[in-house]
Amino acid sequence: MSPERERLDADVLIVGAGPAGLACALHLARLIRQHNESGGKPELSAEGIYVLEKGREIGAHQLSGAVLDPRALAELVPDFAKTAPLDTPVTDDAAYFLTAKRSWKLPITPPPLRNHGNYIVSLNKLVKWLGGLVEQAGVNVFTQFAGAQLIHEGEAIAGVITEDKGRDKDGRPKDNFTPGYELRAKVTVLAEGPRGSLTKTLVAEKHLDGLNPQVYSIGIKELWEVPPGRINPGWVAHTLGWPLDSSMYGGGWIYGLRDNRVSLGLVTGLEYHNPRFDPHEAFQRFKTHPFVRRILEGGKLVRYGAKTVPVGGWYSMPRVYVDGGLIIGDSASLLNSQRLKGIHMAIKSGMLAAETLFEALRVGDTSAKSLSVFRRKLDESWIASELRSVRNFHQSFQHGLWLGLAHTAAQFVTGGRGLIDPMRMPAGYEEYHKLDGAGAAPPRFQGDGVLTFDRLTDVYHSGTRHEEDQPCHLHVLDLNICVNRCVVEYGNPCQYFCPAAVYEMVEDKGGRRLKINFSNCVHCKTCDIADPYQIIDWVPPEGGGGPNYEGM
Amino acid sequence: MKILVITEAREGKLNPVSFEALVAAQQIAGAQAGSPIAATVIGKGMRQLAEELAANQVAEVLLVEHDLLERYTPDGYAIALRQAIAQSKPDLVLMPHTYQVRDFAPKLAASLGKGMIGDCVGYRVEKERMIFVRQMFQGKTAADVSFTGAPPWFVSFQAGAFRGDQAARGAAPAPITTVKVDLKAEQIRTKPLELFREAKQAVDLTQAPILVAVGRGIKAPENIPMAEKLAKLLGGELAASRPICDEGWLPMDRQIGSSGQTVAPKLYLALGISGAIQHVVGMKGSRTIVAINKDRNAPIFEVADYGIVGDIFELIPALTEVLEKK
Repeated sequence: MSPERERLDADVLIVGAGPAGLACALHLARLIRQHNESGGKPELSAEGIYVLEKGREIGAHQLSGAVLDPRALAELVPDFAKTAPLDTPVTDDAAYFLTAKRSWKLPITPPPLRNHGNYIVSLNKLVKWLGGLVEQAGVNVFTQFAGAQLIHEGEAIAGVITEDKGRDKDGRPKDNFTPGYELRAKVTVLAEGPRGSLTKTLVAEKHLDGLNPQVYSIGIKELWEVPPGRINPGWVAHTLGWPLDSSMYGGGWIYGLRDNRVSLGLVTGLEYHNPRFDPHEAFQRFKTHPFVRRILEGGKLVRYGAKTVPVGGWYSMPRVYVDGGLIIGDSASLLNSQRLKGIHMAIKSGMLAAETLFEALRVGDTSAKSLSVFRRKLDESWIASELRSVRNFHQSFQHGLWLGLAHTAAQFVTGGRGLIDPMRMPAGYEEYHKLDGAGAAPPRFQGDGVLTFDRLTDVYHSGTRHEEDQPCHLHVLDLNICVNRCVVEYGNPCQYFCPAAVYEMVEDKGGRRLKINFSNCVHCKTCDIADPYQIIDWVPPEGGGGPNYEGM
Repeated sequence: MKILVITEAREGKLNPVSFEALVAAQQIAGAQAGSPIAATVIGKGMRQLAEELAANQVAEVLLVEHDLLERYTPDGYAIALRQAIAQSKPDLVLMPHTYQVRDFAPKLAASLGKGMIGDCVGYRVEKERMIFVRQMFQGKTAADVSFTGAPPWFVSFQAGAFRGDQAARGAAPAPITTVKVDLKAEQIRTKPLELFREAKQAVDLTQAPILVAVGRGIKAPENIPMAEKLAKLLGGELAASRPICDEGWLPMDRQIGSSGQTVAPKLYLALGISGAIQHVVGMKGSRTIVAINKDRNAPIFEVADYGIVGDIFELIPALTEVLEKK
């Protein structure tokens, strides 16, 4: 059934109101205003810029640690130090190595983990503030609308169709059924964050993949309120080692915020070998380490969330321009995996895209050739020099922590080249070791309900809600694989890697089957990334649904 | 500009929303001198409603009657109203945006080769052109739409866009004109069946003084009747946690929790419910909570006033037996 869709025409359509999408919109609106004010012809309008955001409001789906390198924000909003909602400047930072019971402070904080001059921020608050500036500049931000499908015209991208609203769980139209809008645009900018759903299809359809497949880590975060005096605002700690073993990539973070709040979490590379590894459980156990426990004891959980991080870096960058389309931010792999910082690159890439778009609109040429200027601008900017210096970083660790550190040292003295350049790495889902008759799965982690929590309790604290009566947005392309092959080969890792308890294998009279509790989904995309058969396709649910990452 | 308002009646009464369309017509007419308003009443045996309508400030009321219009059908209404339009020759045809209008108005407009602007929230006049405002993107933007081409122009207004109680009364009753409707049975392609009310009144668990709720521990739908029997013996209602309703073992209106109902009965008996926070937030206000669960570490025991670590399949029959003896 092809419903009659309402059609709207835009000049530029940006999918995603995160730091990249909003920086692009803001900078472009400004360039347009300056152009019009100085009598530039043809006259352009910021009203032709549309931003789509699937969250209930701007910032609802934004989650990060985060320690912000302000260099890009300073370019975008020069008086940011006075006007942006920064939590606290970094006052103290240190790196620790943990074993099960002990901790050692590293005598020298490794340069990539040094954060003086940086700020601890809540990305949710920062993005809300940026969203306000964007709306003041006259740009329309449509919250609660997702980009569901790309519109193709020949070779070019001609816009996006938003999701149908008001279908029941069998896909049938309800009373409030509204078919998705056909949003046509001269250029569509994909700023969807890690593992964007439209970006995934575009890269596949047009073979835009970089040299290495993109690889991801999952970050699981909790925001706590602790008794006064436990931690100083501006204190930044990063940990290596326990609870991850040396074959695994990842580490923890603890940041002291104002008002006795603590941001903490655990990042785990999604290329671990044990299919029963549970990143959420690992984070819960991390909190029981004396080093962490003494900070949190007596405190209370405020919020929970999880998101993936694209860590493939330079060699995982896809081609970022097509006829009528650009890819920016996390979707374009613009993240420094060594510093685990991507917000500054997202903002800068948004600005460079805005410059490219402005020229393209001014001369009326939105072809791939015209938009390829974006790639040239990236190459000539500090994004490229920063990314190139860590271009083999994450890949160094595919054979374990110690070898990784050795490679990293070599890369440090050779400007990123190291011993092997480029270092190839397969996609994370290829790294699972089959169970091969390993024993029964250990019992699932329950948590004590005070310091550690089970998944369901944590999900409750993510504020996630979805319209219940809608089609399941997690498309499993062949359920037979789940109950027949995966159960034997890998033990259904979706039950372990999903931080929101969406996937459950249940046994009932009909036999074994996969139960999908889609309304718990926090939109982290881990399942789409980490499923060993790559049969899970995450598509956006009805707009407005998902987590509410207030303060995250 | 001549305006025709198409009213709607249900079970012998004018739908109040029709007065909103009338108010819209009166406002538009007020701004443009020489804009007579006609209003239709359609059906069978509608004279009394026509007289009611004629008491308002309108130029005339058109009584569109026929035996075949006694029950609503889209074909019947479209054909009859087309004839009313031919007789009255309006420029603008206004309707309230009801389900019924959604059903016949597009057919009516299309049969005259005209378009329709539906579900409008307002209008304005710009340089003598009428501009109608409708919402897009679920109310985030508004679009200005106007007609090209010759009248009649068909417009429907969203419920609540105008205040029906502001309809101006006429100084004297308006004349009522009959429209001769030429309608044959074979022109009506649908056969209306009995009207019925779709949803049974959903169970309101917030009113029940006692609730007996089942969770995953009940294991299979065949075991639910024993819990229901217990509920009835206690004079209460049956409720459930989410997994039970997800499986379809009980309807959604029995669900207690953050995505179901929030209740605070005098007594809440939780059978085989673990006490996940999503459930507890829906019932923690209960006066007395009694929980039965095999797992002594189940979080439900933290909110329960009385708890039994035991097997519900032993305890439900045991409780039932005691209550039946009383």
